[in-house]
Amino acid sequence: MEKLITLVPLFPLVGFLYQVFFGKNTSKQLTTIIGSGAIFASFVVSLIVFNSQLHSHHAVTVKVFEWIHAGSLHIDFAFLVDSLSSTYLLFITGVGFLIHIYSSGYMSHDEGFNRFFAYLNLFVFFMLILVLGDSLVTLFVGWEGVGVCSFMLIGFWYKEHANNEAAKKAFIMNRVGDLGLIVAMILIFSNTGTLNYVELFNHGKIASLSPSMLTTIAIFLFIGAMGKSAQFPLHTWLPDAMAGPTPVSALIHAATMVTAGIYLVARNGDLFEMSHTASNLVMYVGLITALMGATIALTQNDIKKVLAYSTVSQLGFMFVALGMGAHSIAVFHVITHAFFKALLFLGSGSVIHGMGGEQDIRRMGGLKKYMPTTQKTFLIGTLAIAGIFPFAGFFSKDQILAHAMEHNMPVFILLVIASACTAFYMFRMYYLTFHGEFRGTHAQEHHLHESPASMTIPLWVLAVLSIVGGFIGFPHAMGHAIHFPHALDHFLEGPVLVAVGDMSVTVEIILALATMGIAAVMIYVAHNIYIAKATPVLEDNEITSPIHKLLNKKYGFDELYEAMFKKPANAIGHAFATVVEWKIIDGIVNAAGTAAEGVGALARRLHGGHIAGYLLTFIVGLIILLGLIFKA
Amino acid sequence: MALVAAGFVVTTMLLTHLLGPKRKTKIKNEAFECGIESVGNARTPFSIKYFLVAILFVLFDVEVIFMYPWAVNFRELGAFGLWEMFTFMGLMVVGLLYIIKKGALNWEK
Amino acid sequence: MKELLLTALLGIGILVLDILNLKKYVLPFILLALATLVGFIAADWGTIETPFGQTMLVYENGANLALGVFAVVLFFWFILSSSYFKQHEGKTDLYALVVFSFCGAGLLASFGNMAMLFLGVEILSIPVYVLAASKKHDLASNESGFKYFILGSVASAILLFGITLVYGATGSFDLAVISNFIQDGKDASIIMNVGITMILVGFLFKISAAPFHIWTPDVYQGAPTWITAFMSTIVKAAAMVALFKLFTGPFQFYVEANGYTIGVIAAVTLIASNTAALWQTDVKRMLAYSSISHAGFLLSTIIGNASLLSLLFYLLTYSIAGIIAFGVIKETQTLEGNPLKGLYRRNGVLAFAFTAALLSMAGIPPFSGFIAKYFVIAQLIEAKYFALVVVMIITSAIGAFYYLRASLNVYQHIENAGRIVLTPLIKWTYILLTALLVLLTVAAGYIHLL
Repeated sequence: MEKLITLVPLFPLVGFLYQVFFGKNTSKQLTTIIGSGAIFASFVVSLIVFNSQLHSHHAVTVKVFEWIHAGSLHIDFAFLVDSLSSTYLLFITGVGFLIHIYSSGYMSHDEGFNRFFAYLNLFVFFMLILVLGDSLVTLFVGWEGVGVCSFMLIGFWYKEHANNEAAKKAFIMNRVGDLGLIVAMILIFSNTGTLNYVELFNHGKIASLSPSMLTTIAIFLFIGAMGKSAQFPLHTWLPDAMAGPTPVSALIHAATMVTAGIYLVARNGDLFEMSHTASNLVMYVGLITALMGATIALTQNDIKKVLAYSTVSQLGFMFVALGMGAHSIAVFHVITHAFFKALLFLGSGSVIHGMGGEQDIRRMGGLKKYMPTTQKTFLIGTLAIAGIFPFAGFFSKDQILAHAMEHNMPVFILLVIASACTAFYMFRMYYLTFHGEFRGTHAQEHHLHESPASMTIPLWVLAVLSIVGGFIGFPHAMGHAIHFPHALDHFLEGPVLVAVGDMSVTVEIILALATMGIAAVMIYVAHNIYIAKATPVLEDNEITSPIHKLLNKKYGFDELYEAMFKKPANAIGHAFATVVEWKIIDGIVNAAGTAAEGVGALARRLHGGHIAGYLLTFIVGLIILLGLIFKA
Repeated sequence: MALVAAGFVVTTMLLTHLLGPKRKTKIKNEAFECGIESVGNARTPFSIKYFLVAILFVLFDVEVIFMYPWAVNFRELGAFGLWEMFTFMGLMVVGLLYIIKKGALNWEK
Repeated sequence: MKELLLTALLGIGILVLDILNLKKYVLPFILLALATLVGFIAADWGTIETPFGQTMLVYENGANLALGVFAVVLFFWFILSSSYFKQHEGKTDLYALVVFSFCGAGLLASFGNMAMLFLGVEILSIPVYVLAASKKHDLASNESGFKYFILGSVASAILLFGITLVYGATGSFDLAVISNFIQDGKDASIIMNVGITMILVGFLFKISAAPFHIWTPDVYQGAPTWITAFMSTIVKAAAMVALFKLFTGPFQFYVEANGYTIGVIAAVTLIASNTAALWQTDVKRMLAYSSISHAGFLLSTIIGNASLLSLLFYLLTYSIAGIIAFGVIKETQTLEGNPLKGLYRRNGVLAFAFTAALLSMAGIPPFSGFIAKYFVIAQLIEAKYFALVVVMIITSAIGAFYYLRASLNVYQHIENAGRIVLTPLIKWTYILLTALLVLLTVAAGYIHLL
């Protein structure tokens, strides 16, 4: 069965090539059928492979062709099919397919319809290569490929200069990460002579390395993961990447590409397991990112920006899990997050579509009655990300928290704060968008309509997945008591590190109830502020006004909420947004650029254009060279 | 050692360049024509045709030199040498025809 | 050997056609001849036994392969440049010069004697001096040709001086004798080392490696664009192949002793070119710096124990990307202002081909430039030149920035874009070449089979 795996990336590639060569004369219907059909075909094959993996549980390497034979470097272009890659396959092609269907509705009025599908297919192709590759080299091909596709899709509406800037920023940030990955690859290769996972981990090549070398390699690998998965301080590109069409945000910047970093760390899990320093670094970077994303999201008013920062924050959660050695739980959160975040992004796309391009939640409100389907599915997604039982997010997030509690108390507390923020900002956004009075213009109100079936059907499918998806990973202790196993951990065991805690059933239930209780309180707070009291959200220029002016307004309890939750969070969020992001990080990036340009100016001065000067340089060059040769 | 040597050369060259007095006069800057006073500008335009004919002459003239060693060794080289020379002359003829075709020898154009 | 004769006869043939007033058949004739040549090369693929007793020219398998790469690139060059040369009055002259230069490239791939090496270099270069200045009434073109000629002559003189010094040390021009001289355990005298260094400098000039690269931007910018494309691909490739042959063959001991110095040259080349390229506003000049930066990669093949195949793969990849990029620039050159801006609206094929070419030069997968650079880097790692590898990676990251900036420009929005119409032949050639850039990535896997 695993031999079929070659077909999985082949279908999207064929779809892409078709669009490139015949796309211009193809109708939108046919483009949809071919583009989505290719992904669907991949999905079916992935299901077959997954099923076979479910039974055999044996990792299989499928060689496609011999690729690089240079000196002692032998790399086959081969796919490694095991439980980790087949799990990733399933949600890449599955969620990918739904987003393709959705795009056919969302992009129906766009002149670049064919181009869009071509890029999407190409993206899926590279993502599959990334996940399937049996060595770091093959992974790197997919890694760079998705980077390029992401770059093209962010700048898809290339007519606007800002989109091109965002695309460039994303690309450069990713290159910084890639640098780390390349260095890690070089170090691994020069020390072990191979880049193949099976040889590295199963044949134990990695064990022969010195501890300091292991740590160095792991840290460089992690830098690679940081770039792709938007971890602090390389996260700034992700919110900007929202400039692309919304299905792109859903597919690439929420569900699949950004989880490549998680994949990289999980795939090389043994390496991280052997280095405490690196694991701790992963955990703390994840923690900072989770907190920062969550607090910034509190103050954002662009519907896609809120979701973007929420993605950054959730990715941080996953890295915390990785850092604690609970790799299977990180993968679990990747899966549930793919469901509900794709759902939320597609829902926000539906809202933007209905609002005629408006993205500011301050201009929305009361959309419930115009877009009932979007509202219902969006609510499901919001509940899932807030971590309410029995929605998918509850299971995965709860297990991360449980592990943190066993592992490191301060980390646990900070994570609980981050997840409390999550519940608050998600419901803030939900209420502002769908409840209350409509705050936009009349023209917008007139334009409001529910999205077509091609967009709502994927929403429903994802909504169902967001409800039931969590049951594949039922908590261990609780599951043991009622004989409901943690299916995912069982499946992933082997290729992925599975950490099983020894938590008692009681503690597990109390923790679940406690986190849910906190989420419920935050939802109530959000409801109180934005629905019961209908507090208007401040315009950007008003936020900077002195705090006492705001406190003078009589809100009763709301003032307390304001002071307790919103103000500090606002302040922290702003501190992160302004100081850390723009001043420090942009400063570093700019300084690097300036330094490179400075050297360039020096080099340019040599090129005066006078032949005599050129000849002099020649002779001086020759003399220096002779000097170097006879330096001894 | 090498560094000291190179450094010495560079320093002395720089020093003479910097320390030496420079008194430029009009006469000093004039071109030296073997003691005879220079007349007129050296950069007078002349017809490019002279240059063309001259360079083509040099070209074909030099190629003829190749025939001397061939003639000296004519017996040893035998038929092979004869055919080689035919090939060579053939190429020369093509070249000659080409320049005639291009009008390079056409003085009146 | 018949391949080399064919290249020479092709040049004469063009002159004969001109004499017979058959100008319009020149291009089909050349394409046919080049196709035949590629056919011969393919037929001889891997079957040539090293000829016994021939020492002036040794046409063996490696030379055959190199000539094949040059011929394929030249073939596409002739197709793509046809629309430009169509209006040119002296078309046949220029074509003949290009073919003669190509003939020199053939000699550089197969020389077995220093005399032939020098002849090859001169036959390669002299037509290019003329070609660079072939826009007679354009000041920039004149300047370009003049500068290239003066500086090229100096480089040739240094090369020739080097050859004589090596002759002085070994008493022979013959590569086999020189090799034996070293292998017999005789000490390489100072004269020998100086000579080899001078030969190296002569070639560093030809492939434009630092610090002998400073002529490149001026010359590339001023020369007619299609000539620049020829210079930056075939001329450079031929010089590189000759350099490779020398320094992995008879002069290998020199590389072993001075690998570090050559690595420094490569690193300086990479740094100087990539940082300078950041500043360029003229895309042709930027590509000139990009060409220099590739010289850094090419040069490091000789210290990395690379195989000739991986070098040729790099050259083929880079040459294809080069003729696409320069070709697209030429197609847009008649436009006012910033001609590449908004190219997407004028012609999608050109825009896409241009992007692909630049991304390939930047070394981004799936384009074959990635594999080509990867080969070089992998071999350098094996040879333990880690510092150079780090420089390569950092400069590649800088490079990605300016390549990306140029390719983004192509996708900017412009109003009232006039279409650029290409003939079907040229359009499909661009598509084919772009596809080749991707296909070569896959083909890289079969390199070891050759």
